[in-house]
Amino acid sequence: MAAKTAAPTPLTPAVLHILLALSTGERHGYAIMKQVEADSQGKVRMGPGTLYGSINRMAQAGLVRESGKTDDERRIYYKLTGAGRAALDAELTRYRGVVAVAEGRFAYAE
Amino acid sequence: MPSETAIRRYRALYSLLLRLYPRRFRERFAAPMAQTFHDLCRERIATNRSLLSLALWAFIETSGGVFMENIMHGAQMPKTMLRVALGALAAVMVPLVASRLIPDWNWPPQAFVVVYFLFFALGMAYALIARRMGTWSYKAAVGLALAASFALGWGNMVHVADSGNPANLWYYSVLVVGIIGAAIARLRARGLAITLFAMAATLALIALCVPTGAPPELARNMTIGNIAGVVIFTACGLLFRHASQVGANPNEILPPA
Repeated sequence: MAAKTAAPTPLTPAVLHILLALSTGERHGYAIMKQVEADSQGKVRMGPGTLYGSINRMAQAGLVRESGKTDDERRIYYKLTGAGRAALDAELTRYRGVVAVAEGRFAYAE
Repeated sequence: MPSETAIRRYRALYSLLLRLYPRRFRERFAAPMAQTFHDLCRERIATNRSLLSLALWAFIETSGGVFMENIMHGAQMPKTMLRVALGALAAVMVPLVASRLIPDWNWPPQAFVVVYFLFFALGMAYALIARRMGTWSYKAAVGLALAASFALGWGNMVHVADSGNPANLWYYSVLVVGIIGAAIARLRARGLAITLFAMAATLALIALCVPTGAPPELARNMTIGNIAGVVIFTACGLLFRHASQVGANPNEILPPA
C-alpha cells in the first residue's frame, strides 16, 4: 500500500515504540503494549487510546498495515510496511547521530 | 467466577466509552480495543492486582483518545467549535456588562473565565448531542434540558452558598439521574424521554421532602423555581417522546457528521 502521507520526522515516542515492537514480527494490540513495556523496561505504559490512535495514524501514513492473520477474530494483527521499516531505520540513524554528537561534546567537556 | 463477572462489567462500561469515538474509528478499532482492555483485565486478575485502578487508568487514557479523535476526525468540528466559542463569548458578555451596571455584582475576573468555559462546554454538549437526530423536537428537547440542568446546577450552587443549608445538595441528584439516564439510553430519544420524566419526578420528590431551611421569601422563590423545573423537565420528556414517535426508527442515531 502506498503511503498517503510521509512519516513525520522526528517520530513521536509512541510511534517509535510501536514500530520497534513490530520490527520483530506481526502482533496484535495487547502484544504490542506488552512488547513496548518490555522494550522500555517498564518505563513506557501505553494505553489502548494512545495505541490505537497511533496505529490509526500510522496506517494512514502507510507505516503499518493489518497482517490478515486470523487466529482470533476479536484480535487484529499489525505488521510493518516497507515505509514503516524505512521510517524506523531513518529514525534510529537520526538517534545515532544525535547520540554521537552528544557523546562528543560530553567527552570534550570532561 | 466473580473475577470474570467483574471483567465483563468493566468491559461493558468500556464498550460504552468506545461508542464516543467517531464512527469510522469506532467501526475499525472498537472491537480490538475492547479485546485489548479485556486482556489487560485478565492480566490484572492473574497477578492479583486491582481491577478498579486499571479501569480508572484505561477510562481516563481512552477518554483522552476519544477527545483527540473527535477533534481530528470531525471535519465539521473546528467550525462548530469556533461557532460555539463565539456564542459562549457573546453569552458571557451578559454578566460582564451586567457586573458593570449592577453595583453589588462583584465577580473576580476568574469567575468570568469559569463561566465562559461552562457556556462553552454547554454549547459543545448541545452541538454534539443535537446532531444525533434530525427531528426538531429532539434538538429542542436537548437544548431545553441542557439549559434547565445548567440553571438548576448553577442556581443550586448559589443557593447552597447563600443559605449554607447542605440539605439542598440533594438537588444535584436530579443532574445525577440525568447523566446516568442519558448514558444508559445512549442518547436515544425514547430513553431520554424516560430520563427526563425521572428527572422531573426526582425534582418534585426533593422539593416535597427536603426542608429548604430558607426564610419565607426565599422559600417561595424556590417553590416557584422547583415548579418551573418540573414543568420544563416534563416538557423535555414529552419532546423526546415526540421525537421517538416521528422518527422512522425511534432508536435512530445518525452518525456524527
